[in-house]
Amino acid sequence: MKHLAAILLATLQIQAGAALATEIASPSPFSVSGFGTLGAVRTDKDTRAFRSNTTQSSGASTEFNFSVDSVLGLQGSYKFNSALDVTLQSVVRKDSSDSYDPTLTFAFLRVHATPALTLRAGRMRTPFFLYSDSLNLNYASPWVRPPVEVYSLNPFANLDGLDAFYRLPVGDMELELHAYGGRSDLDARESSGNLTRIRGIKASLSDTRLTLQANFAKANLAMYWNGPTFISLGHQLIATGNGQILDQITGSGSPTTFISTSFQYDDDRLLLIGEYAARNVDRFSASATGWYLTSGYRFGPLTPFITFARQHQVATDNAANTGNPSADTALRVLNAARNKAQTSVAAGMRWDVRRNLALKAQLERIQPGPDGLGILVSKAVMDSLNPGGPVHVLSLTADFVF
Amino acid sequence: MRSIHALLISLLLACSSAVRAEIVVVTSTRSGPIELSREQAEKLYLGRSTTLGDGTPVNLVDLPNGSTRDEFYVKLTGKNPTQIQAYWSRIVFTGRASPPKEASSIAEARQWLTDTPNIIGYLDRSDATPGLRILLRLP
Repeated sequence: MKHLAAILLATLQIQAGAALATEIASPSPFSVSGFGTLGAVRTDKDTRAFRSNTTQSSGASTEFNFSVDSVLGLQGSYKFNSALDVTLQSVVRKDSSDSYDPTLTFAFLRVHATPALTLRAGRMRTPFFLYSDSLNLNYASPWVRPPVEVYSLNPFANLDGLDAFYRLPVGDMELELHAYGGRSDLDARESSGNLTRIRGIKASLSDTRLTLQANFAKANLAMYWNGPTFISLGHQLIATGNGQILDQITGSGSPTTFISTSFQYDDDRLLLIGEYAARNVDRFSASATGWYLTSGYRFGPLTPFITFARQHQVATDNAANTGNPSADTALRVLNAARNKAQTSVAAGMRWDVRRNLALKAQLERIQPGPDGLGILVSKAVMDSLNPGGPVHVLSLTADFVF
Repeated sequence: MRSIHALLISLLLACSSAVRAEIVVVTSTRSGPIELSREQAEKLYLGRSTTLGDGTPVNLVDLPNGSTRDEFYVKLTGKNPTQIQAYWSRIVFTGRASPPKEASSIAEARQWLTDTPNIIGYLDRSDATPGLRILLRLP
């Protein structure tokens, strides 16, 4: 009886608490925050334009350009309860058509199903790389932008679908398994494409200093080229009776595999980051590999760093041997224009001015090719076959969060 | 001369008391039977976990930017204010976890913590009031 009374009393107290709920001070379930970069970049070669990623159609030359790296992002989230929340993020930066239309980069519902298992549905980022979750968030990384030698291997950044995270302790470290599936659409320079039936798994082993990751993904690739080079090539191939080669260059349903592995060591002084990735396609693009290695050291608010990076083309989707010399030349030009192979070395400095502002300066030397201009573009189509000597790029950025 | 001397001493005292201030991790006395280890507190405030050791979900409160907040993170995680900002930016803007809810003042944080069950926050020992239960001390 005493117990019953105690339970009744407790119930009454809870109800009284609920009745008073409107007067109780609680944190708001809404949160809004943002991030951005204001960047200026120039090169020493007026016949080449430098881009920060392969989707951009134009870039920086011998005058300071503010459109290549500048970006602004806004994020809002709403917590329905401790197990369910929704996150939206929109980013403004120059796109493939040189416009600044906002794009939706996050729109997902998240369920914390158990302490170890989190599920998400909606639009997320494809987790192909170590930093692919934070492609626009330069504040989170030492460099001005993620090394293009690796990050251009897979420019499909949005994932529309489902994913699941499962975390379990392994000794003193934590293992996180991230399974994901869905599709991704992309508009890039003189092309558009999609990945369908994406299915992948990423394993991350981490402790407070070290992170090791491995990722494996499969998908079906569709690519549609629409630049003047491709259009004239198409006419030429059909006229010379080589129309079937177009099926190797453009269309849908090419099986694609993508693997990557990376490590990051950060003991609050020494910083080491390395990443390797390989893209393997059946048709519609080239197979290629890339890697980079970054080392930095923190002297208080200053972090000088150096990066070595390389992308290497393994195989093209067509061999450019139709027997017709002019068609072969046109094919070689198209292949070279799609080849992002390059080698670069970069040295720079990050300065953490305030807790939400970092200034960076970075100087890099890019040697494009062989065969192709790498991340650079030229107005002269034939330049792709003659990449020439190195291009030096100077970048100055201010990265902020709010 | 004497007043300068006195000023210096009081300044020194102020500095040493700021350094030695004890920070306490607290929850409302209305919360359930919460137990919190130092390791679990670190996991929560680094976004590596959203629940207590027994699986109970909790929400976190942050103080506004200031010395207590900076000291709390240094003591609990070893990260300085810049490092913690960079760390949490990465977690938040990659959509991995929601950050602790930032109060606009110490008074507001204390109000939230006193009134709402199952949220956890931290305060300078001298700011803790009777409606709060101390879960962890960071001397």
